[in-house]
Amino acid sequence: MIANVGCSSLAMAFLAALYGAIAAAYGARRARPRYVESARHAMLLTWPLVTVSALAIIWLLVSGDYQIHYVASVTSNSMPTYLKVTALWGGQAGSLVFWSWLMAAFASAAGIRKWHRDRELLPWVVVVTMVTLAFFLGLVVFFENPFARLWLTPEGRQVTALFQPRGTTPLIPSDGQGLNPLLRHPGMIIHPPTLYLGFVSFVVPYAFAIAALVTGRTDDRWVRITRRWTLVAWLFLSLGLILGGRWAYDVLGWGGYWGWDPVEIAALMPWLTGTAFLHSVMVQEKKGMLKRWNVILIILTYALVIFGTFLTRSGVLSSVHAFAQSAIGPLFFLFIGVTFVASLSLLIKRWDDLKSENQLGSIVSREALFLFNNLLFMGILAVCFWGVIFPLISELFTGQKVTVGPPFYERANSPLGIGLLLLMAIAPLSVFGQTSWKLLGRALWKPLALSFMVPFFSALRGTTNLGALLGYWVISLITLVTLYEFWRGALARRRRHGESLPVALWKLTSRNRRRYGGYVIHLGVVLMVLGVIGIEIFQTETQGTLVQGEQLTLDRYTMIYESLTQFDTQDGRNVTRAVVSVFRDGKNVGELYPRRDFYYSSQQPMTIPGVRSTLEDDFYVLLVGWESIGLSGATFKVYHNPLVNFLWIGGLVFILGTMVAAWPDRGPEPVLKLAKKRAATARSKIGGLR
Amino acid sequence: MTEGNPVETNHTKQPRRWGVIFAWALVLALLGTLGFGLARAQQGSIGVGSSVPDFTLTTFEGDEIRVADLRGQVVLLNFWASWCTTCELEARELEQVYQMYKDRGVVFLGIDYVDTEPEALAYLEQYGITYPNGPDLGTRISQAFRIRGVPETYIVGSDGRVADVMIGPYPSLQEIITDLEAVLGP
Repeated sequence: MIANVGCSSLAMAFLAALYGAIAAAYGARRARPRYVESARHAMLLTWPLVTVSALAIIWLLVSGDYQIHYVASVTSNSMPTYLKVTALWGGQAGSLVFWSWLMAAFASAAGIRKWHRDRELLPWVVVVTMVTLAFFLGLVVFFENPFARLWLTPEGRQVTALFQPRGTTPLIPSDGQGLNPLLRHPGMIIHPPTLYLGFVSFVVPYAFAIAALVTGRTDDRWVRITRRWTLVAWLFLSLGLILGGRWAYDVLGWGGYWGWDPVEIAALMPWLTGTAFLHSVMVQEKKGMLKRWNVILIILTYALVIFGTFLTRSGVLSSVHAFAQSAIGPLFFLFIGVTFVASLSLLIKRWDDLKSENQLGSIVSREALFLFNNLLFMGILAVCFWGVIFPLISELFTGQKVTVGPPFYERANSPLGIGLLLLMAIAPLSVFGQTSWKLLGRALWKPLALSFMVPFFSALRGTTNLGALLGYWVISLITLVTLYEFWRGALARRRRHGESLPVALWKLTSRNRRRYGGYVIHLGVVLMVLGVIGIEIFQTETQGTLVQGEQLTLDRYTMIYESLTQFDTQDGRNVTRAVVSVFRDGKNVGELYPRRDFYYSSQQPMTIPGVRSTLEDDFYVLLVGWESIGLSGATFKVYHNPLVNFLWIGGLVFILGTMVAAWPDRGPEPVLKLAKKRAATARSKIGGLR
Repeated sequence: MTEGNPVETNHTKQPRRWGVIFAWALVLALLGTLGFGLARAQQGSIGVGSSVPDFTLTTFEGDEIRVADLRGQVVLLNFWASWCTTCELEARELEQVYQMYKDRGVVFLGIDYVDTEPEALAYLEQYGITYPNGPDLGTRISQAFRIRGVPETYIVGSDGRVADVMIGPYPSLQEIITDLEAVLGP
């Protein structure tokens, strides 16, 4: 019953989306507002319909209705309820429903807000979002239906079908296979939804950009409407990436946080273009430049979102993230093709309308530095894209699949990353328009001189690694420049308004949220880079097989293997757990319990490290093997990860900064005033020319 | 905005056509590559129940072993490489299981994927591996199996069909034994 309700509301949502897309396009083309209004209603209907469907799936998951194929494949009796709920996005079919649900919510939100003000653009926004939604819902309804049931043929074969095939009897397994153990981690509960949120919310800026291209309204309107959307999308994407790194560090048991896996890169690529967009869009708002570039960036971001989803779900590339092979690959391919071709055609059509209003002033002006920033981001994107696509190209031309590994990405991206960090240090001091080297130099020299102190003192304290010293220098410079900006702004406010320094600082930030939120993000990046330096340059590791009482030493740490126990748990695991005592500089600092969980239902093991975590470093112990008889000998792999926690702290600061920047403004949009001012200046210039 | 710069317009007109051609070529090339990758992925890899692709392995000692000749015996095929760190996790265990089962007619074959001979031989010596091993020349064997990476292990039943596939290293000795016992039957 519940399944039938869920399934039919899914089908209705699909029809509503399809109708919405067609009616909106027809209404906009023929100037029939009634059709557009009706399309909008259809769009607003999709979200409640998909909600009903998603709730039905959750109900089935929690109640353990194992005749439903999806329920049997992602849950089991022993799973706790919260994991059963989150199993909604644990498999292909459910995660597609979840994706559609978010998509419908965002489309509705875009349709509810200021519908009457943007009448010109919104019909096409409806078209784009509803086509995307209809595509995803179509996949779910026709190819990956989460409500399909299991049936048994008279020959004893198991089949999956929505309706009972002739001659079959219902098959109700007594238990399900359970969720992939790798996904049973708190980070995993929020990592996929945040990434999906990021991915899906980029559809809205793309839809507005396409609407602007279709209607020929190539002024800043679409940029202004979607600025906050983009920031929110970017916030979730960043959060998803950070949580993914944390999950890898905690669960995958290789002592790292980022492995340059194709799917990680697929999620990073839209983030790169999104970050570039967030910077270059400011140039368009302030100077009316880079209009074409901004449209290209937003199209690229959306294309990369779809591309990334395609890669994960089509089985084209092998990765820890890939879903099982399925029939939806070719359809996705078709959708990508249509998206690319349609976007490119529109862009070419409107190319001449998207001309810059201004020309680039000085090479050290803010807009020029933003342009360099964009070029560097595009460089990193090119490296990543080439690395992801290379196995396919090599197979196409040589017949052999050659994959590029982390060294390729690290070597190619490091100089570009350092370039970006340098820009991050200089650009805040530069101004829009005409500026000179002299002005920039005058603002820069003090922080520059001070920044050499940190590498100097760390060299005195024995750091000899040049990469680390260079890294310390760059991040000190960024920190000093950023703090100097806060200081300078707050001082100016104090002088002007007579406020106390904390009040001035608070007001400065809250009145210019995007700018100062951006600076907080920069500080987050600084902390994250510190963590990366720690783990990439100073990480040490060792391994050894120990009998009870033996010890293993790594840097300042010594661990003693105390004991090993094996036991079964209520939730269907066999746990092998070691107890090791940890000493730092000879002083006992506690015990760690690295363990290996073996999940009976999925026949999969999972290695959980024992970690001693301090601000200074992590001591990370993995239990990689043991003797099955007597449990006396065990093999451990041990990592010492200095500074790694700055990566997570930096991540938090980063997210905080993005929230500051994305926080809604009260009162009129400041950008609107800016655009008016810019238009007035342009008019007076033209008047002057006449 | 309305005031076009004539110099700029002349300058941009000509390259525009080439720009458009270039953009289309790029998009079509990308779609072509993706389509090709998709077509390959749709073939899938060799799974449980598929009949084992026939190949001849020339071992490091120079012996030739043809898989078709081994019909009637249970065969364990392990793809590995000396540069593969996860392969090391199961190397000793595989040899241990080989010692336990070689008298029961189980054949072990190691297929060395994209490797250099001195390193491969050093690896075999380091882990004391005695079952036959040979290089996958021109990656012909791994292509026939469409492996995703190393290590991968295929257990072929006496009927010549793949009975078990392990992607990645075996987590422990016990799991190799369990899988092998399941294929050997009671």
